[in-house]
Amino acid sequence: MISERIRKMRKAFVEEKIQKKYWQEETDHYVLAREFSRQKEDSIDRATERLLFVLDHEKPVVFPDEKIAFLRTVRTIPELYTEEEAKEIARKHRIHEKGDVCNINVDYSMLLGVGFDAKKAELRDRIADFRQRGKEKEAHYLSQQIRILSSVEDLVDRYRKEAEKVGNTTVASSLSHVPSGRATSWLEAMQFFRIIHYVMWCGRNYHNTLGRMDQYLYPYFHHDMEAGLYTKEQAQELLEEFFLTFNRDSDLYPGMQQGDNGQSLVLGGIGPDGKDSYNELSELCMLSSLDLKVIDPKINLRVNKNTPFSLYVLGTKMTRQGLGFPQYSNDDVVIPGLEKLGYSHEDACSYVVAACWEFIIPNKAMDIPNIDALSFAGAVEKACFDFLESSPTYEEFEKHVDEQIEKDAASICEHTKGVFLYPAPFLSLMMTGCEETGRDVSLGCVYNNYGIHGTGIATAADSLAVIKKYVYGDKSIGKAHLLQCLHDDFKSDPILCNNLRYRAPKMGNDDDFVDSIATHLLDQFASVLKGKKNDRGGIFRAGTGSAMYYVWHAAKLPATADGRHSGEGLPANYSPSLFCRSFGPISIIKSFSKQHLENAINGGPLTLEVHDTVFKTEESLEKVAMLVKSYIDLGGHQLQINTVNREQLLDAQKHPEKYRNLIVRVWGWSGYFVELDKCYQDHIIQRMELS
Amino acid sequence: MRKGVIFDIKEMALFDGPGLRQTVFLKGCPLRCSWCQNPEGMEKKPVLMVSWASCLHCNACRNVCPHTSSCNACGACIPVCPLNLRHIVGEEIESDVLVKRLMKDSDYYRRYGGGVTFSGGEPLLQGEFLLEVLEKLPRMHTAIETSGFCDASLFKDVVGALDFIYMDMKLMDSSRHKKYCGVDNKVILENARFLCGSDKPFVIRIPVIPGVNDSEENYRATAKFLKGAKNLKRVELLHYNSAAGAKYSMIGKSYRPDFDPERVAMIDQRPFTEEGIRSVVL
Repeated sequence: MISERIRKMRKAFVEEKIQKKYWQEETDHYVLAREFSRQKEDSIDRATERLLFVLDHEKPVVFPDEKIAFLRTVRTIPELYTEEEAKEIARKHRIHEKGDVCNINVDYSMLLGVGFDAKKAELRDRIADFRQRGKEKEAHYLSQQIRILSSVEDLVDRYRKEAEKVGNTTVASSLSHVPSGRATSWLEAMQFFRIIHYVMWCGRNYHNTLGRMDQYLYPYFHHDMEAGLYTKEQAQELLEEFFLTFNRDSDLYPGMQQGDNGQSLVLGGIGPDGKDSYNELSELCMLSSLDLKVIDPKINLRVNKNTPFSLYVLGTKMTRQGLGFPQYSNDDVVIPGLEKLGYSHEDACSYVVAACWEFIIPNKAMDIPNIDALSFAGAVEKACFDFLESSPTYEEFEKHVDEQIEKDAASICEHTKGVFLYPAPFLSLMMTGCEETGRDVSLGCVYNNYGIHGTGIATAADSLAVIKKYVYGDKSIGKAHLLQCLHDDFKSDPILCNNLRYRAPKMGNDDDFVDSIATHLLDQFASVLKGKKNDRGGIFRAGTGSAMYYVWHAAKLPATADGRHSGEGLPANYSPSLFCRSFGPISIIKSFSKQHLENAINGGPLTLEVHDTVFKTEESLEKVAMLVKSYIDLGGHQLQINTVNREQLLDAQKHPEKYRNLIVRVWGWSGYFVELDKCYQDHIIQRMELS
Repeated sequence: MRKGVIFDIKEMALFDGPGLRQTVFLKGCPLRCSWCQNPEGMEKKPVLMVSWASCLHCNACRNVCPHTSSCNACGACIPVCPLNLRHIVGEEIESDVLVKRLMKDSDYYRRYGGGVTFSGGEPLLQGEFLLEVLEKLPRMHTAIETSGFCDASLFKDVVGALDFIYMDMKLMDSSRHKKYCGVDNKVILENARFLCGSDKPFVIRIPVIPGVNDSEENYRATAKFLKGAKNLKRVELLHYNSAAGAKYSMIGKSYRPDFDPERVAMIDQRPFTEEGIRSVVL
């Protein structure tokens, strides 16, 4: 049961958004960049100065009844480079997304468990050591980190005074201990975390994932619970307040769409000792999220073949709320998959998800898991136009498809060269090895791998199934005729289009004929990336995700052999085609668990949408939980289940004002339906076929 | 080998028995309940079903129709519809073929505590076919959803071959049953009596229809009838579904309930509680 205090807080921050009252005016985005440019400052100094500038401009806001403080007020995070400079950089380098370090999982305990004072002392010793060895550059880098820590402490001091002013002794007390000292209680640890996370966003780093909070906050939680500081109800209330802090500043976060902010939380998971780490804090996180019903943090559950059924039931109750999470990932597949890619066993066991679903390693990976995407359907299409007529057998034709995938993958890899990331000196304090080497994490970390998504695998497999069955098999479709149809968008044979769309084999109907083609495509994708190195010394990882690439790939793609029209949508992530009339969710689960998923483990979930009626009774809810469990049992890698009601969404398009709170999951994240672009709205509506 | 007519096999039925199950819908029903939600299952012969709501009125179907005066479900219009809105409902199938289809995923369903449920229509209308199918389904958990309207000896045979029974008891009063369901309930009550004395676990379902069977009198009579049935797991009171009429226009019929669907039905679990019978409202 949500407490009155939390209910009011939720209303204020999530519904009324009172935090907007405290926002400062937007300011000149290039106020710093022009000066930096004149002084010809290097990127490290620019990133440092900018962060100091933002922290200096922050004005403390403390509410009398809160226990965990900090609220963003600065709206403009100034640019590091002038427009001319940015263009010049982009000419010489590959700029990934916005250019900032993002989508990594820092080890918060590297500061939480140490405190800024001790950290600064440690950095000073290192600086002296670097200076002794003539490493001025490295010494300078660490001294900039010290300046950042001091600037954060200044801000914290202003917050502490403000807390005293408004009579909030709890916050004032926490801030007199942390972050200068290490956290000594669960409350202090959460306040400390809040400050770290806040500063990360102030440095324009985004998709700052939360990682395994149930592990790194557990010692504090456990200690305070053992000491009898909180009843279970009080602990949950406090955790709910903490969860609400993730919903305070999110309107200021950059993202593809509102809600795409990467605040992913990972619960449970098998440790190197083989034991499941799901603990009382994990459970409390589940209960708090169930109670609060807000989109952040986004819950990810690490499960395995021995996960108790009761956790699936709890997860399904969360699904019922329509928040679009939890997302499940299967340790039995993901851990061996990551090990095959070269991650150590221990590191693989500690995996988390990046903003959406990509598997990354906390504090060691400066991976870019979404650097580009292969279009499976595009590769099949090119092979069709170039080689269908000349290929005497299906096997011959399939070889050309394989070659096309190899060619496209090689080209993608080639274009990843020369990535330039803006430095992230604050985040680097929480990444392995940065301090020892005096090197910013933007230049690399222990793992520097690139992940490549794969879009439209169902469309590609369905198209190849048509070619195999009707062009080469029973020869009921002539090659020239099919090619003509692909060229003219089936204008010359609309009936053929209907038959291919609705009566040809589809991935999602548990049909080995087409599912095995998908297996082949995915294997080929993984195998052509094997052995390739990127220019940061890392490798390339094949994946089953789509991110926004499926929209871009679809727009460019002419008609396909599965009866898809030119420009018509491709499925998001690892899912059946949009017009697959599936027999049902069990067929889908079986179709999408046959592939060798541990070889394509960059991440990308099977996405199922279920109508809200499936949650009508406890018994039916348990059946949904069984369905989820069965995907894991069958060797599926990752699953998300959405709850949607089609009528609701159609009505929401007509009367958005009535549905401001309606939440849907779009690719790897949940967002408010009415805040999405219409093309995404339409896609979601079209996708609702399961019930 | 016997042939039957089915009109759907649904995966993951949620309210048709324990665990993850598939449900087979056998076509044809001797009853004519005016609240029926599956009008396409009434007649045994195949019918054409069209989802008019999304129709673009492109006329492609009309242009190819060889039977413009009266549809005989020949299916000529199906492939021409660009949105795939047309379907033949009803498929004649040999018992072996059906069994093979059901067995394909039997391990999966067994692993999750489920199996197969036979529904309809009225599955007992094809009782001999059903018996033949049941005989060929080794080690599968089997259940039925039935109105109980069939010959007593067939009922006994089928119940004997199944693991779990869902049976409707729509109305206790014989003349009202005849009026609203089109048949007398004498044989239904006889079969229910048999079930109450048998060792087969069963659930009794009452679709609660406003003004038809939601009287205290009917609830009491039902509860009294069921009192003491040793393997009765529970009574399920099913809310009338206001979308029940949705499929009528799709098969060229109109929905004309002989009761007021807008009225809120009276749900009363007390008579069952008083007789020591567990009841739930769905």
